[in-house]
Order: sequence, then C-alpha cells, then structure tokens
Amino acid sequence: MVKITRVGSSAPPDGGWGWMIVAGCFLVTICTRAVTRCISIFFVEFQTYFAQDYSQTAWIHSIVDCMTMLCAPLGSVISNHLSCQVGIMLGGLLASTGFILGSFATSLKHLYLTLGVLTGLGFALCYSPAIAMVGKYFSRRKALAYGIALSGSGIGTFILAPVVQLLIEQFSWRGALLILGGFVLNLCVCGALMRPITLKEDHSIPEKNHDHGTQREDCKQTSPYAPLTKEWTQLCLCCSLQQEYGFLLMSDFVVLAVSVLFMAYGCSPLFVYLVPYALSVGVSHHQAAFLMSILGVIDIVGNITFGWLTDRRCLKDYRYVCYLLAVALDGLCYLCLPMLQSFPLLVPFSCTFGYFDGAYVTLIPVVTAEIVGTTSLSSALGVVYFLHAVPYLVSPPIAGWLVDRTGSYTAAFLLCGFAMIFSSVLLGFARMVKKMKRTQLRFLAKESDPKLPLWTNGSVAFSVARNLDQKDEESVATAVPGCNLT
Amino acid sequence: MCSFSALRALVAPGYPLLLLCLLAATRPDLAEGDSADPSFTSLPVREEMMAKYSNLSLEIHNISLTEDARLNKKSPVQKNITLEKPSDLELICQLTASRDLNSVNVTWTKDDKLLENVFNTTKMGNTLYSQYRFIVFNSKQMGNYSCFFNGEERRGTFNIRVPRVHGKNKPLITYVGDSTVLKCECQDCLPLNWTWYTSNGSSQVPIDVHKNDKYVINGSYANETRLRVKHLLEEDGGSYWCHATFQLGESEEHIDLVVLSFIVPLKPFLVILAEVILLVAIILLCEVYTQKKKNDPDDGKEFEQIEQLKSDDSNGIENNVPRLRKNESVEQ
Repeated sequence: MVKITRVGSSAPPDGGWGWMIVAGCFLVTICTRAVTRCISIFFVEFQTYFAQDYSQTAWIHSIVDCMTMLCAPLGSVISNHLSCQVGIMLGGLLASTGFILGSFATSLKHLYLTLGVLTGLGFALCYSPAIAMVGKYFSRRKALAYGIALSGSGIGTFILAPVVQLLIEQFSWRGALLILGGFVLNLCVCGALMRPITLKEDHSIPEKNHDHGTQREDCKQTSPYAPLTKEWTQLCLCCSLQQEYGFLLMSDFVVLAVSVLFMAYGCSPLFVYLVPYALSVGVSHHQAAFLMSILGVIDIVGNITFGWLTDRRCLKDYRYVCYLLAVALDGLCYLCLPMLQSFPLLVPFSCTFGYFDGAYVTLIPVVTAEIVGTTSLSSALGVVYFLHAVPYLVSPPIAGWLVDRTGSYTAAFLLCGFAMIFSSVLLGFARMVKKMKRTQLRFLAKESDPKLPLWTNGSVAFSVARNLDQKDEESVATAVPGCNLT
Repeated sequence: MCSFSALRALVAPGYPLLLLCLLAATRPDLAEGDSADPSFTSLPVREEMMAKYSNLSLEIHNISLTEDARLNKKSPVQKNITLEKPSDLELICQLTASRDLNSVNVTWTKDDKLLENVFNTTKMGNTLYSQYRFIVFNSKQMGNYSCFFNGEERRGTFNIRVPRVHGKNKPLITYVGDSTVLKCECQDCLPLNWTWYTSNGSSQVPIDVHKNDKYVINGSYANETRLRVKHLLEEDGGSYWCHATFQLGESEEHIDLVVLSFIVPLKPFLVILAEVILLVAIILLCEVYTQKKKNDPDDGKEFEQIEQLKSDDSNGIENNVPRLRKNESVEQ
C-alpha cells in the first residue's frame, strides 16, 4: 500500500482530484446502498429454493442494513488508523467474499452469515470513510459534491434492479450472487482512488506527520503538548481516543445525535409501507410500483439539486436551517399522508417526500462536518450512521405492529411524522438556545470592556474570544478560527 | 346397474367428499359403460340421468348475437367455460334481429358434428333464444359447442375445457450437483391426481419415484405439486411435464430445466476480477508517479515552508464555519 506523507495542499481543493473522489464515493454508494436494496430481489428465489416464508428471508436484508450501520464506527476507526484506501479496499474484499461464499450456500442460515454479516461488515468499512473523504476535499462546493456522491443509491437502485433480475434469469440466484460479488469487488477500485489529503487543520494522523510538529487541539487540557512522532507513541491510549472521539461530549453533537435517532426512526417505514398503504386505499399494483419509482427518481433529483442549492452563497450559511427544514417538511408530509386516499393525491406526496428525503440525506454529512470539523469527520460520521442502525431495525416492525393493532396506517404514519418533526424542532431549539447564549455573552463582553473595538482587529478579537472561553466552553472550537480570518 | 346406484349416492346433498371418492371408485365403471354403449346419449337414458343429476348446480352460459350489417365480417363470438367436476350445463344463444325471426334456422354442433333434437328454441319479442341443456360427466362431453343461426350467418361457440395448470414460463436454471424444485399449480381447482413425465427424445416417460432417491414428489392431491430433483447432472436438463387429472379430463403443463456447469457464471466473474485488478494497478501507479513528481527536491522544501507558516495559525476546525461566526458578528 502506498503511504503518502503529504499531498501538498493545505486547503480543500474544491475540484481537481476532488471530483475523482466524488466519483469514487458515488461508486461506493452504488456498491453498498443500491446493492443492499437489490438483495430483496433475491427473496422470491430464496423462498422457493429453501422453502421458507417471506419473514425468514427478509432477515437477510435487515442484517445487511443493520451491520452496515452498526459497524460504521469500526470503519472510521480503521480508516483513521490505517488509511482510507486500505480501509475501503479491505471492505470491498470482505463484501465480495460474503457474496461469493453466499453463492455456495446450502441453507438460509449460511446466507445470514455470509450475505448478512460478512457483506454488511464489508459495506460498513467502506461507507462512512468514503463519505468523510469527500468532506475533506471540498469546502465551497461541499453540498453539491455530497449530493452527487450520495445520489448513487438512487441511480444505482434504478440501474441495478433490472440488471439483477436479468442475472437471476440467466444464471439463477447462485450465479447472480457470484457475479454481484465480482461487481462489489469494484469497491477496491474506489478505495484506490481515495488519495489521502492533509489539510492545515488535520493533525490527528501522526503516521503522516513525520517531519514537524504542529499545534494541536488539546483534549480538554489547557496546556498543549508537542506532538513529535516519538513522544506521540508514548501517549496513553485513552488520550488518543479522547482526541478522536472528543466531539462526543460536545453539546451540539449530542443534540444532533438525538435528532438523528428520531429522524432515522421516522424515515425508514415509508419505503416499506408506501406500497401496501397505496394498495389498501385502492391504487392498482402498477400504480403503486410507479409511486415507488417516482420516490426513487425524485430522491436522486433532490440529492443533487439541494446540494447545488445549499452551495449558493445566499444559502451556504444556512445549511443547518435547510437541513432541519427538509426534515420538518418530510414530517409534515407524513402527517398529511393518511388524508391522501387516491392515486392523483399520492403522486405529489411521493414527489415532495422523495425530494426532501434526498435533500436531508445530502446535508447530514455537511451538518456533521460543520459541528465537529474535518478532522473528526470520519469518526463523527461513523457514530451518526451507527445511530441510524437501531431505528432502521426497530421502526418498520413497530409500524407493522401498529398497523395490525389499529387496522389502519394512520397511527404508524402519524408516529413517524411526529418523530421527524420532533427531530427538527430539537435542532431548531438547540440552535436558538446557542444563539441566545452567544448574544448574552457578547453583551457581557461588551459591557466588561467597552474600549475594545470588537471584531475589527484580529488580535483584539482573539483576546475577547479568550475571555469568552472561560464562560462558554463550546465557543473554544468555534470562536477562535473566526477571528483568524480577518 | 351398479353404476347408477353409485351415481345416486354421489348426488346426495352434503357428501362432497363421498362424491369424490365414489366417483374415483366408479370411474372405471363409467368408462366401461361408455365403451360398451355407443348410444349413451340416446333420449330415454339422458332424461333419466337428468333426473338423477337434478341436484347438481345449474350453470347457465349465454352468448348474445346481433344482426348488424356492419358486423357481418366479424369473427364468431366465443366463450370459454372451465369445468372441473360433472355439471349441469345450459348453453343459450340469443339472436336479436329486426327482421322476421320465424324464418331463422337454428343448428347446434359439437366439434363440427351436428346435434339432433337436443335444443329448444323460443321467441320473445325481437329476440330468438336457443337453449341446449345437458349434463357433463366425463371427458367425452368436453369440446366446442357451436350454435348457428341460418347456417354460417351468425355463430356462437362455447369452449368447454378442464382448468389449466400453471408452471413456470421461463426455463429453470440450475447447476450440476445442485437440487431443484419444479412446481405446477392449479388456481381455484383441485385435481384428483398429479403425475410427472420427463422427455426421452420425443416421447413422455413417467417418472418413477421409487426407483432411486433422485426424484421426490410432494404436494399431490392438493392444488399444487412439487417435483424435487436431486444430484443434478447435465443430462437431467430438458423438458418435464406435469399432468393434472380431473374427472372430466386431463390438463398438462411443460417446464424446461437447464443444468449449467459452474464455469458458466465464473467467466463473467473472472472478467470483472481482471478489470478490477487492472484499474487498481493503474490508479496506484498514477498515484506513485504523481507523488514522485511532487516529492522532487526543489518543490519539497517550498511545501515544507508553506506548511510551517500555515501550521502556526492552527485552529482545527474547517474554514466555512468561521464565516458563519463572522456573519453573525456583523449582524449584531
């Protein structure tokens, strides 16, 4: 493996090799998310071959999804400590092995282990490091880059679904799994594309900084220490962990984490229950399938256009607000859904929900990057996707139980709608509280030293910020760089 | 005759299972009766049978024909009737015409053979009704019944068939050494028996389940049947037929089995593997080449100096967040 000490750029390039990274991440998203969705095409074949019912075979899909999200922190740990390239290539090999072994399966349990656990683990090692890499290469056009990269799941599903169907017809499910294993091996190609980049604030990878020491963000200690390579190896493990996962204690991140839990709870049942709901209100099979297709295609459109939109100068500073608006609008769509009882009404619902679903999916990494910074982005994304796992697993069965108990879909949809609205309200509330706190602190600072002109001179602002440090712990990370850009 | 007493027991109400068993038991008797007596459908015997079968549910099927100058060239009207068990059938052809209906000549045929004195014709207003009522109790009564008004001028056809069996439209793909399940099912019907046949050149050879453990048949006597074939070899590929036996005849379906060796999907896999290895090698070589160019001694020091300078004003957070702070401060 090629170990590179320095690529030589100190700021995100916002282009150049960055677009190759976007292409790599796009392919990663196709090979992970789209392939996961296409696994459900195999279920009919598994049902007839192994003589099991739908719920037994559907476990494979749940296991893959759950493993991909649960092991996301593992993926970010490996890519942080080894290298992004190694991590993604390893993930590609694991996932491919899972598919190849699955093609020789003789029972459903074998498929749970190979196609479920092994492939899910492989996907987890690829997914969050690839997304984190995009964040490192872009800053100005970050949301557009994420939009293009994450649209892979929609476009991939669109293209792969008929291809997988064709493979099953030509080679039966065993041959199709083998060939899909080969396709998933392309993750290694994506891994090779992920050239490491060291940015000026990127201090946390000691293997890459052999020659000189750099100022380091302290782990809740006031005295920074000199991070020369030899000294670094002597530091305790807990300090390095604190370094990597220090963002977990940031109140901003905790709020984001809780809101992600509710948002993931709310968004997953729709893809499972839209078709049964449409059928129950009298829509035909073809029209219900068409609704799902609209959802998928508009999802892609939402990914890319919303990414482009929030990169515009007017919206760039309001990405957080755009994110919570997208989540809130999705929640509102859910609340309206029980009132939509015919196909002409469900089509605009599909379009709206699909668009904002694509929108907030694009903005999750952007918002996370805003809160924790590029250094810890990989680990933070690992944690954020990890928090998606349990709601994804738990939410469709709970919705199904509600449907069985109440006899209609209203209760399930209302619950999901309220979960998403609560998630966005929480974020909005936290942001408001933070703003009020900062206004209060600035007021206090102004009163304490009226002679100092604020925000005009870099050094003066620096000292004011220092005073603020003692009062507002979280402003340490955020207020200081603002001054330096004067 | 013993067959008639058995038939009386069959039509007794509330004994459908008994009906099935007894019918199965007496089927050979019926067949014997058929071959022994060619004039089975002669008048007195038929009337007696109709009386005995009066408890069978009546099925009425109707075809409407109109005398319309524009539709003169229209193809004959057809109606498909699916029968599984013996039934009492009434086929009605009605002709609506504006002209004088007394001169219209009505004829009925079964499979192009003329039927004599079996139908009634009534006239109501502008419509002429022709009614043919009969009992269907074995496969000889199945076929195409046509009513003709004035020869070939107007024609209606009732196609009476046993229910169709469904298998798989596309060939079933399996691999050598694997096992597979061939399935035939009949929706909304219950065949009496299922049998499987394999092809031997051009003829059908029944499959013997007891010869070895290669073939296992499950699910007989229900509306579906499964043939499980184990230890597949390439010679096992070909056509398989499933036959469903009803009281009123047989229905069959054809399934194609294709046995491939594992090399077949392995080839595309190896092609993709070669492509992946090639691409990875190219990308990594490009990276090494770019790195060598950048790590040239002349450029190296410059980069180091820039790094040194820029490392002094370290912050640790990315650049666009400060802009946010700055904007906020400007708004204050």
